[in-house]
Amino acid sequence: MKKLLSVLLMLALLGTLVVPFAVAEELEPITLTVFRGDPGDQPSDDNKIYKLIEEKFGVTFEFEFLAGDLDEKLGLMIAGEDYPDLFDGGNSADLIISNGALINLLDYINPEDTPRLWAHIEPQKARLIEKDEDGNDVLYIIPNYGLTDGDQIVNEVNGPAFFIQKQVLAWAGYPEIHTLNEYFDLIEKFLDENPTNADGTPYTGFDILCEDWRHFCLINPVQHLMGRPNDGEVLIDVSTDDYHTETFIDKPYAKAYYKKLNEEFHKGLISKDTFVMNYDQYIAQLSSGTVLGMFDQTWDFGNATAALKDAKMDENTYVALGLVYDPEYVDGREIEEHYVNGSLPNVRRGFGISVNCKCPERIVAMWEEMLSEEWQLIFNWGIEGEDYYVEDGRLLMTEEQYNQRNDNTWKLANRALAFWESSPKKQGWIMDGEYAGNAWDPANQPEIVLGLMNDYDKEFLGHYGYSKFADFVNPPIELAPYGEAWQIDYTPVDVEHQDFLDIQDKDLPELIMCDPEEFDAKWDAFVEEITPSATAFGDYMQKAVLAEVAKVLG
Amino acid sequence: MTDYVGVSGRKIRSRKQGFFRRLGRQWQLALMSVPILLYVLLFNYAPMWGWVTAFQDYKPKKGMLGSAWIGLDNFKWLFGRADFINSIRNTLAMSVINLVFGTVSAIVLAVLLNEVRQRAFKRTVQTVTYLPHFLSMVIVVGMAQNIFASNGAINQLLLSVGAVKEPVFFLGEGRYFWWLVGVINVWKEVGWNTIIYISAMTAIDPALYEAAAIDGAGRFQKILHVTLPGIKSTFIILLIMNIGHLMEAGFEIQYLLGADVVMDWAQTIDIFVLKYGISKQQYGVATAAGMFKSIVAIILLVAANFVAKRMDENTLL
Amino acid sequence: MTGANYNSKRVGRRQDVVFPTVNAILLILLMFITLYPVLNTLAYSFNDGTDALRGNIGLIPRVWSIKSYESILQDKAVYQAAWISASKTVIITLLNLFWTSMLAYTLSRREYVLRRFITTVMVLTMYVNAGLIPNYLLISKTLGLSKSYWVYIVPTMFSCFNMIVLRTYISSLPEALVESARIDGAGDIRIFWQIIFPLCKPVLATVALFVAVGSWNSWFDTHLYCGGQKELHSLQYLLKMKLATTQASANAAKTSADALKSTTQTTPVTIRCAITVISTVPILVVYPFLQRYFVTGMVLGSVKG
Repeated sequence: MKKLLSVLLMLALLGTLVVPFAVAEELEPITLTVFRGDPGDQPSDDNKIYKLIEEKFGVTFEFEFLAGDLDEKLGLMIAGEDYPDLFDGGNSADLIISNGALINLLDYINPEDTPRLWAHIEPQKARLIEKDEDGNDVLYIIPNYGLTDGDQIVNEVNGPAFFIQKQVLAWAGYPEIHTLNEYFDLIEKFLDENPTNADGTPYTGFDILCEDWRHFCLINPVQHLMGRPNDGEVLIDVSTDDYHTETFIDKPYAKAYYKKLNEEFHKGLISKDTFVMNYDQYIAQLSSGTVLGMFDQTWDFGNATAALKDAKMDENTYVALGLVYDPEYVDGREIEEHYVNGSLPNVRRGFGISVNCKCPERIVAMWEEMLSEEWQLIFNWGIEGEDYYVEDGRLLMTEEQYNQRNDNTWKLANRALAFWESSPKKQGWIMDGEYAGNAWDPANQPEIVLGLMNDYDKEFLGHYGYSKFADFVNPPIELAPYGEAWQIDYTPVDVEHQDFLDIQDKDLPELIMCDPEEFDAKWDAFVEEITPSATAFGDYMQKAVLAEVAKVLG
Repeated sequence: MTDYVGVSGRKIRSRKQGFFRRLGRQWQLALMSVPILLYVLLFNYAPMWGWVTAFQDYKPKKGMLGSAWIGLDNFKWLFGRADFINSIRNTLAMSVINLVFGTVSAIVLAVLLNEVRQRAFKRTVQTVTYLPHFLSMVIVVGMAQNIFASNGAINQLLLSVGAVKEPVFFLGEGRYFWWLVGVINVWKEVGWNTIIYISAMTAIDPALYEAAAIDGAGRFQKILHVTLPGIKSTFIILLIMNIGHLMEAGFEIQYLLGADVVMDWAQTIDIFVLKYGISKQQYGVATAAGMFKSIVAIILLVAANFVAKRMDENTLL
Repeated sequence: MTGANYNSKRVGRRQDVVFPTVNAILLILLMFITLYPVLNTLAYSFNDGTDALRGNIGLIPRVWSIKSYESILQDKAVYQAAWISASKTVIITLLNLFWTSMLAYTLSRREYVLRRFITTVMVLTMYVNAGLIPNYLLISKTLGLSKSYWVYIVPTMFSCFNMIVLRTYISSLPEALVESARIDGAGDIRIFWQIIFPLCKPVLATVALFVAVGSWNSWFDTHLYCGGQKELHSLQYLLKMKLATTQASANAAKTSADALKSTTQTTPVTIRCAITVISTVPILVVYPFLQRYFVTGMVLGSVKG
């Protein structure tokens, strides 16, 4: 036993000696430490893209991903000033910026030395460049996503929408559904004639997922019914000069939606289990094909869609509909539908360079070089001949080449995602050069998108005369000057905001389940309870929205 | 009742000798204990200066020397919030239920196992019952959510025997929540909790069982007068320790099992601190809540220890 | 050597049949209840990931697949991490047994003048916690242990709870053992090492189990101090990360083409279960090995022998 112990201790000692450290000299090989504010797998040692980076730039990476709570981890890094060279603070980048962990990238980025990087941020610089306490222009983070070239690509609704099973629309003869009443009437009619599926399992009319942060399925719909894309928990009137901003959940027009849900609950469309189910149960229910409709965001149930397709249950997959209130709910007004927003840079998301980094100029120079077409194709498409092929100026992939991109083990050996996902990148369409007109991302390349659509979907769309599922909703509305309000940092009213959410999470399910005769009284009690926190949050957001507008419009 | 476990007499040493003379004579004991004392002082007590942040508006960047002092504001904020007070209630309720359920189930299982003569069977039961300890809470709670759902196994059973007419909304009504947590914890931990009692039973002298049999004791009398007294000191010590832990009901199970509609019953102190402490950069509030918990724990501990001493039982301190 | 190995001639015949039968039925029932979640986890882990999303899997997989295991075990880092976890578990367990039992012995000595003081200092560690940041600064900055293997060992060499368990046990041993050894001229170090320590086997086995399981299951120390050192990752950390990654990629905004396409991917549901199995099996092996020390009467038997 003693021998074993000493051997183990020896090995442990050896392990500590081989920790590599960064050398900060030009042209010398360097190791950059990288923190990513989200989970991820370490790339394989023989990853081919990282090998190319090492050959070309002399740079290797030491990645740390997030295993636990982000704010907790960042708090410790700040307390100990243990910053990596490349720092992606994930959803809490505001925290590291306000604690002075990142350098001002404008010290290194300018039109002369870094023309590509400058051209990359220039169109959105009003949104991206901030003023620090002394009034200087600062840029801490180059967005990892959302700086796109060319026309916005919208093949389908990727964000929030009311969803309905394709078979329900097919059963009703492919009607156009635009309002709340039309939607629930259709589900009711379908349920009347088809209470169960072929196996005898009863259908659920409408699901409302309430678990944890996914409660947006419960609390967000009203703004969309009022004709606005996703601004989080506030409704903003962009037609007014003062961008009138208010919380919507406590307003009379919100009452109509929850009263409607209360009615549907008592008609049996909504089960009370929906308010206590966890995410796995929700996905299980959707995957079984027995849920006719729900409000959600497309990416939130991608796994269920995959499971349904896998089981050849295409008629049970969903279409995203952009519903608005019927005029009767809003004093006879006709509301114009806007679910899809203009393209939006991912402000304060992505890599910054920390104050501990000894070679910021080398990183910036590397990013500059990486924005070339050559490197963007390497990161996006891979190596020509291995990962994709070119035919008549079109970038293409075989089915096998495309499918392997979903294989985790393959990705770790053949793509540099850990680095690239947080780095500045080109998106949208290739604008010039020999490949102009191709999409930067293979997933957006028209030939590939068309090839992936199955026959059921093609036929389904044919009945409507549409070519893509995004045709069910209006084209993108122009992005408002403030961006999307859910991106706005509300740290100063964090506590009030938490209260505001808690009251909704507790009370809205009760309102939906309560006796219809008690609904009005309970609604009034709810409004009274939520008004203080709603006012505090709403007032703050009004100011923040105006500040953002002033910044962007100058 | 007759106690078959003898308490050996101990010599009472003279208290007149000087402290250092006695310590000098006990140098071997000191050598074996003082290094560990120093270790604990370094790793457990040195960081205690962090408690000053309970009285600060602590910012990690400014550190404990640079952050603003705000007196008792953190405590005032905590106790001014109805949901914090509520979370104290929930914590205490659930930890008392857990303590009672957990201890009783562990002792009952240990005694039942002790009565099993077939060694292979006994070992199999032991091994199988302790397995759920290794499942993550996510898995166990996920299963419980299926079992207790409106169309889950429990409701189907209740409906089929006619105990209820409508499915019981176990997961959506607050009054069931604390008891569900208790039941799930027993399910997951009963085998694990038993281990300590089983190891304590190894110290029981088999001769005591023989003596009891000769006195005409039946099986239940032997359990009552030999087995249970044999694990009494372990039981008392664990009880005192756990009473000190009454302010800790955990957070994982409540966080996973508690839907928002039962938030008023599910939110424990730890969840409250997670929600309003570090994730809202209120580090001082988190420390203040931790400090409050520690102080209550020590009071409970000393009180439990005192009661045990008055009852002439083994004590922790 | 069995459980209650006592003479039962005088016990009535009926009771002798009824009780063991009822007892056996109760225990079998309990086994079923506790085995169910374990078998269910196994079933999920061997099920196809996409199919498992539908839930409702009982004790047998619906669509067999070993893809979840493959996707984890193909990563060579798992084996390095398993080695780190196993080695630290062995070292920590041995160190703990030694330190903890030694202290437990001294604190069981009623005549020891520092007994009350040290006991109080130790016990309070279970109830006071300085909070994350000061602990982090001590270990990472003051002691400079982060990014090294020592951070797994040095801060976890001692546990008060286990010390109390040991002390309680040692206190229940006959005082005569110590008294007679002292008369023979033995000092405390010798008494502890030659008499008390060997007698504590059953409770040492218990403590070893507690420490080993705790150390094997820990991931937070890696997360705090060694997240960037992939050669120091522990198995639990690595597996937790793999699960988190699977979950994140399931939630991540999928590009339209990916969302349109059906995939036979590993999913969080099956990965979670496969991870549980992979991380639990090695530590389960320990229990039957330690179980042989849990035998009633062995202590006093050896004293008399």
